[in-house]
Amino acid sequence: MTAIELIKLFASLFAIVALAGFAHLLRLGSDVRIRNRDHAAQLAGQAVYGFTATEIALDRAGFGALLKDAQGRQMLLRRHGAMWVGRLLDRSIEARLNQAFLMIGTGEAPFGKVTLHLGDAAPVWAAGLRHLPAAGGNHA
Amino acid sequence: MPDLAKPVDYAVPLFVLLVALEMLWAWRRAPEKYEPRDTLTSLAFGVGSTVAGLAFGGLIVAVSLWLWQFRLITLPWTWWVWIAAFVLDDLAYYAFHRSAHRVRWFWASHVNHHSSQHYNLSTALRQTWTGFFAVSFIFRLPLVLLGFHPAMLAFVAGLNLIYQFWIHTEAIQRMPRWFEAVMNTPSHHRVHHATNPRYLDANYAGVFIVWDRLFGTFVAEVDEERIHYGIVRQLGTFSLLYSVFHEWIGIGRDLRTAPWRHKLSYLWREPGWSHDDSRDTSATLRARWLEDQPQP
Repeated sequence: MTAIELIKLFASLFAIVALAGFAHLLRLGSDVRIRNRDHAAQLAGQAVYGFTATEIALDRAGFGALLKDAQGRQMLLRRHGAMWVGRLLDRSIEARLNQAFLMIGTGEAPFGKVTLHLGDAAPVWAAGLRHLPAAGGNHA
Repeated sequence: MPDLAKPVDYAVPLFVLLVALEMLWAWRRAPEKYEPRDTLTSLAFGVGSTVAGLAFGGLIVAVSLWLWQFRLITLPWTWWVWIAAFVLDDLAYYAFHRSAHRVRWFWASHVNHHSSQHYNLSTALRQTWTGFFAVSFIFRLPLVLLGFHPAMLAFVAGLNLIYQFWIHTEAIQRMPRWFEAVMNTPSHHRVHHATNPRYLDANYAGVFIVWDRLFGTFVAEVDEERIHYGIVRQLGTFSLLYSVFHEWIGIGRDLRTAPWRHKLSYLWREPGWSHDDSRDTSATLRARWLEDQPQP
């Protein structure tokens, strides 16, 4: 690597830090929340085409949701920056119930674990997670 | 080898300025169009891609120069050859880009460019680190064998890349009709980055949208349908390294677990293909979407 190339590389690094800082300074992004069940169902349909939610449990703060469709598939929906991501759940998940809170890990480390405040519905949905398909059986 | 300037080097300050201006536009009109962590990941992709280019670019030049000795004819350095080089290089880009969406081996590298759920000028800089490993450069080699000098091809490829920067925006709705008919535009390229089933695997053009119109892959943007960007199975992480390598990791996992007779198919079949039909490809998603449309 020549000296000129090194200078260009450091200039690029400086530029990306400056631009990322500028985005922070302008407070870009958005504090998105799930507004209601219809909104959750719409987001789930966007995450996995053909997923039509029949049962929905919303996180109290609107950060995520658990949804079930007529085929018995269950989806975890959560916020990702200013956007949303969803995963169909299978037996590789990790779930832990703590009163009104249900923590779910999809078994996919980069996706992370999500804790949902589901209120009285938490134990019901925790029980439902025992009947998931085998891993790799329903991924979109 | 003639020592031509690298056009992209001169364009980088302009890229930075335009990203900053688009951020100001987003700040006034739609702050959700940018997400600082996503932007940082995209820009880090750009720097990493530059480093990968420095590391492997010399090898690509060496291969190209070696092949050039077997050229059919020697094309001169005249203006019409420059124009022909630019147009044919764009056709080669179309072939590469279409393959990059239809063959998982090439997709594993190209997916990096599509992995953001945002569509803004910083997304344009989300370039692959593994293009050399995926041998994506082979699509330009026929032009070397035809007789275009590798230095000329590298220069026009740089111009092609610069052109594609400005089309990664939602700040521009439509260009004049004549321009939309011939050139790739923000509207056409939004379709390309969309995950809506109606838009999957469309608009592969680099500079001239005429290639898509000619080869049947053109889809026009529909104003009534909101576009969702990214990939069919969104990553759900801003981790740079995972974003760079996730599809290669997926290929490795499939090669390890698939039955022997299906292993190679996980390399050359389309993204989403699986031997047990447990996953969706863009073709199956689009077919399902077509079935869901009201019949006339």
